[in-house]
Amino acid sequence: MLPIESFSIYIMFCVLVPLAGAFTLLFLFVFEKRIDLLEKQKREIALERELQTALYNQLNQEIQPHFFFNTLNSILALARLDRKAELIRSIETLSKLLKFKYRTLNNVISIEDELTYVNYYLEIQKTRFRDRLHYEIHLDNHVSKSIIIPFLIQTLVENAFKHAFERHIGEALLKINIIKIESAVHVTVWNNSLELNETSPQDGGVGLENIKRRLKLLFPDDETSVQLTDQEDGTAVFAIFPHVIMSEKLEGESTQ
Amino acid sequence: MKKTDFQYYIGGAFQLGIGFGVVSLLSRWVTGNTILSSPETLIKYGLTGGIGYSLMGALALILFGILAKKIRDRFHDQQTIGDVLRERLTPRGYWFMITILLVISFHSIFVQAMGAGILLHMIFPLPVFSGMVFFLLFCFFIGGAGGMQRIHQLSGINVVLIFSAVIIIPVYFYIQEGVYPVYEGIKLYHPYILYVKNTEAVLFIFTAILIGFGQVIIDRASWQRVFIIKKEKLRITFTLAGLIWATIPLALSSLIMIIIFGRSYDSIYSLLFELIGKINSTLLIVLFVLFCFSAISSAVSAELHAIVTLIIKNIVGMLRPLSNKEKWRFTYLFSGAICLSLFIIVSILPPSPIELLFFFGNIYASVIVPMLYIILGSKTLPSLIPLASIIGTAGGFAALPIMENLFAIWISFCLSGLICLGHFIYNLLRMKLIVKV
Repeated sequence: MLPIESFSIYIMFCVLVPLAGAFTLLFLFVFEKRIDLLEKQKREIALERELQTALYNQLNQEIQPHFFFNTLNSILALARLDRKAELIRSIETLSKLLKFKYRTLNNVISIEDELTYVNYYLEIQKTRFRDRLHYEIHLDNHVSKSIIIPFLIQTLVENAFKHAFERHIGEALLKINIIKIESAVHVTVWNNSLELNETSPQDGGVGLENIKRRLKLLFPDDETSVQLTDQEDGTAVFAIFPHVIMSEKLEGESTQ
Repeated sequence: MKKTDFQYYIGGAFQLGIGFGVVSLLSRWVTGNTILSSPETLIKYGLTGGIGYSLMGALALILFGILAKKIRDRFHDQQTIGDVLRERLTPRGYWFMITILLVISFHSIFVQAMGAGILLHMIFPLPVFSGMVFFLLFCFFIGGAGGMQRIHQLSGINVVLIFSAVIIIPVYFYIQEGVYPVYEGIKLYHPYILYVKNTEAVLFIFTAILIGFGQVIIDRASWQRVFIIKKEKLRITFTLAGLIWATIPLALSSLIMIIIFGRSYDSIYSLLFELIGKINSTLLIVLFVLFCFSAISSAVSAELHAIVTLIIKNIVGMLRPLSNKEKWRFTYLFSGAICLSLFIIVSILPPSPIELLFFFGNIYASVIVPMLYIILGSKTLPSLIPLASIIGTAGGFAALPIMENLFAIWISFCLSGLICLGHFIYNLLRMKLIVKV
């Protein structure tokens, strides 16, 4: 039989716990938005920092003298051969590429925009590599408006050129595949080089690490992954992240 | 999204955060059953039973919260439990499960309406049907015709009323009476309540957790909320809702002791409503009546909204494509028909409570493993899986003459679990054989 002391404690507990419940609810209503805002700001600051690192890596990686001089030489060759239309197109593309590179300050862009930038880059590379280079881009219609971190695909494509195509002679095949599987976007960048892993210098690894960190910051509660794998016929990098439409992301931010 | 869009009726306009999510879940789960079953557990299993009942609700919601994240990850484009069943089951299995859902839904909403009938009968010296007209009309406008947005608009008021009542009324009485007289009175009239070394209560607590989890895992309204609460906040919302919900039956059990400490009782189920006779202050009477009314009406509204959504999206919508206008017309039609049938049944039947706690317990227990298999499995499942819950229920009912109610519930759970396990192993072996060949 329960003694009076225990019974009193039981009653006190029964009477007081609803108060605790009500206070918890009140606390949630008052502070939830602020906590969300603080978390969002913290994530945004970290994302911006990572974006700066990515931008720095990009500049370091790409506006290297050999890329720039090779491109200029290719353009010069077009001028000497009097291929005016191709010359104009090349200069225009180079200008757009540089503009995109220096103007991108958002933490997220749409896959469509990212691919536009990749296309500029590939067009320039095409003037350099000519018939050696063949590339295919497959974009699932469902994901064209989906969000992506800037320079994700671009970094992977540049890695392919830097560590594979520019080091080896022969055909340069590049395939970019972007599809939606369940609620995730799967990005695959494949090239036909078999020696990427052996020759991969540290800055390639830094690029992938930066992508991993930025994806984790953008989607803290969801599964994301970036993986480099050697395949029988080449080397592929897989990036997986949640499918979020650009307008939904903006809407979500405005309601917070 | 336009207000006239049927999607707006199903899910409201925006995704809920933790605060609104908890309020929405509380207004769904603080129901007539909570009010009517708390006395039953206290009287049958003593103070341990009272704590066990609270634990049951908390654990059920917490466990479902863990599943909710997985549900949202896997079925992100869906809106109702019916949508998920359609994706995971064969057509025949789907219709089996929808039938089970409908039976449970109608039973659940009927029990709530009966609770409202008893309350009205005890409070107002008027025939039950006049009060029921008002009550059901209110539920029709909020849950039936108003949709999720309207339910959420009122859920805040409901939760404020519920907490005001469960905080103020016990404090008022215990200050007025003191704990000692209550203890002495219970020791004299109901000493069994104070007996805590009650081994039967342990079995009751575990069985109650099983039934509670079964209730939540198949609850249409909770599934709808899984799809409208922000994904990253699902688990914490369900956990907090469970913990906060658990405080309410505890407060109600302290109220029950106020009522019974100096006397005996006729019916367990109407005990809490007898509190009205004990309250002297008009303000507290109004608060208590509003508490009962808002608890029952919010549960009925949520249930009504969920049934109508299920009927239109997952039954009529499956039989033939519906335009937006037709969906709205059917919404008014079905919710009106359900309210009318509830009104007729409650008016005809005498306002006497029915066995609540373990009635339908067999169904809830036997539906757990099939639902887990549906949520976590990877392939389209055959109709055997929904059938397993029917076989489990039948097995449990068949075992009733030879064993206790609580054991029969475990029989139901194990039977359906074994069938699902058998199917899982059979599938695994078959896959291995195919790979070898």
